[in-house]
Amino acid sequence: MSPKTAPAPRAVGVALILIGTGAMVTSMGIGLDQYGRWGARFFPLAGSAALLLLGVAELRSARGAPPADRQHLPAIAALLVLSLVYVWLISVVGYLLSTALAAPLALFIFGVRTPVGLCAAAVLCPALYHTVFFVVLGVFPPLGRWVDLLDLIGGY
Amino acid sequence: MDIFAGLATVLGDPVLLGWVFLAAVVGMVVGAIPGLTASAAIAMLLPLTFYMEPLPALAFLYVIGKSGRYGGSIAAILFNTPGTAASAATQLDGYPLAQQGKAGKAMKVATLSSVIGDFTGEILLIIGVAWIAAIALKLGPPELFAVYFAAFIVIGSVIGTSVTRGLASAALGILVAMIGLDPISSTERFTFGSFDLTNGISLVPLMIGIFVLGEVFTRIETRGARPEIVPVDDSDAARNALSWAEYKPCLPHVIRSSFIGAFIGMLPGLGSAIAAFVAYGEGKRRARNPSEWGKGALEGVAAPEAANNAVSGPSMAPLLTLGIPGSTIGAILIGVFLIHGIQIGPTMFLTSRDLVFTLFACGLIGIVIYGVIGYFGAAYVGRFIIRIPTQVLYPVIFLTSFVAAYTSRGNLFDVYVMVAAGFAGWAMRRLQFNPAAFVISFVLAGGAEETFRQALLLSDNGMMIFVTRPIALVFLLIGIAAMIARIRSVNRQARASASRDA
Repeated sequence: MSPKTAPAPRAVGVALILIGTGAMVTSMGIGLDQYGRWGARFFPLAGSAALLLLGVAELRSARGAPPADRQHLPAIAALLVLSLVYVWLISVVGYLLSTALAAPLALFIFGVRTPVGLCAAAVLCPALYHTVFFVVLGVFPPLGRWVDLLDLIGGY
Repeated sequence: MDIFAGLATVLGDPVLLGWVFLAAVVGMVVGAIPGLTASAAIAMLLPLTFYMEPLPALAFLYVIGKSGRYGGSIAAILFNTPGTAASAATQLDGYPLAQQGKAGKAMKVATLSSVIGDFTGEILLIIGVAWIAAIALKLGPPELFAVYFAAFIVIGSVIGTSVTRGLASAALGILVAMIGLDPISSTERFTFGSFDLTNGISLVPLMIGIFVLGEVFTRIETRGARPEIVPVDDSDAARNALSWAEYKPCLPHVIRSSFIGAFIGMLPGLGSAIAAFVAYGEGKRRARNPSEWGKGALEGVAAPEAANNAVSGPSMAPLLTLGIPGSTIGAILIGVFLIHGIQIGPTMFLTSRDLVFTLFACGLIGIVIYGVIGYFGAAYVGRFIIRIPTQVLYPVIFLTSFVAAYTSRGNLFDVYVMVAAGFAGWAMRRLQFNPAAFVISFVLAGGAEETFRQALLLSDNGMMIFVTRPIALVFLLIGIAAMIARIRSVNRQARASASRDA
């Protein structure tokens, strides 16, 4: 149901059916209320059923689609991995050290190759963000479980 | 009268005025950066406003939304790349004008038209909103659920290129909103035994992910590419000055488009891009010089710009009167209202009337500020943006999104949510799903479920209550009719496209 064929119609149709089916099964596991009514179950079930039906509709209207452009997938994957590792690093070594690692890596993924720029980012980004958010705004910083630079430099 | 009191409050408070000024500048710059939208800027800055008083916080984000819509026209005219989806229609005539050496003239037309459109929308909002709120107070749960239902269908089916994927985006938004404890019975839903999920998915990291990190993922595909600016020669004053004789033919288009934009703005989910293209099409149909449209007609810049800015004010009407966000910016503003303990909906005009009208006054003053800056300085904004290296800008936005997501609740789980939402936002854009429908449905789902269950408690005949109450039935039919009309339109376009290819 689109004027130009949307990308990957079969894959999207199958994915919607799978998500819809999984959500329906999970919705049926939601407890009934004290009077045995569907109260809490109704909306999740309706959303799941809608997704399932839309998946079927997508699959039925699937036509040949142009091949997907996969040229940038490695960079996308790299950024996704960096994102996940960055959050994990914040939890184990705190905000300053993790940002000092993530900032130059993010710049590198976006094409910055100058060593001075990357080194400057490793120092300036954590310092700037820490000052703005955790000092000026007074947000309590995420402290590292293993080690935290704030312990070494004495508080925040 | 309330609006005059609001204006006096704003003009008498230099700090508030400063926030409005800053918002006008920030919105214009962000809107003019290709790929970055006002929604992204607002989502990213939202956690900062948690530390502000409610009025400056709301005014700051509200005015960013307004000037961001206008800022998109700068990129459309100068870079041949719309800064926002709403300014894609402006590009059709704006860029040819720039190529003819009339970029300055085109930007002045865009500025004046945006200001007139925005003022029209804002004044219609100020006049009509209390009236709509009074009606909304009389709606019961069945009618409100029907309004929510119509909003889901319209948002899912009308925006975007694929009806099924738009509706699927809305359904996914509803499902994600169901994660956590049921607000009535406290039953766990979709938590899979995770303690973090029992609190549900927070709106702020979800929006930062979809609109900010998702855009960073998208921009990685164009890294290294720099927009080319059309040279604006200040010395060529004759070609870039705008006379009354030149602007006069634009005025009927501006007035018509302002009302088109205001009407579309009131309908939940449709937004500026649709308003701009409808106004452009209608303007071209009624123009005395339709053959010049698309080749550099000033009217072709004026019509879409007036419409896309006229959306801004009226899109607040469903938010303020029914608690239903009419746009992604409205959805984000819900977060600010809730954080500051302000209950949105029709009772807001009884409990926080002064705040609402002072916010409208900030909007009016913001329009004047971005109008003045834009009229005299849009070319400078364009030159400033071209100097921002995108390979540095997007990593900075990447890092900011993490700290902004953490700041909202001081919780690293929210940052994981933001990363997941960012990747999902990128995938949605790539697969032609509709991120705006996803987010708006996420916001609407809680209210829709609440009114649905209240309606069933009121009913003696189960779901028949939605059919036997006339207003509820009308809204249900509006939703279904909008979807059928959209499917027919898409099928017609598909057949036309197939016959052209054959």
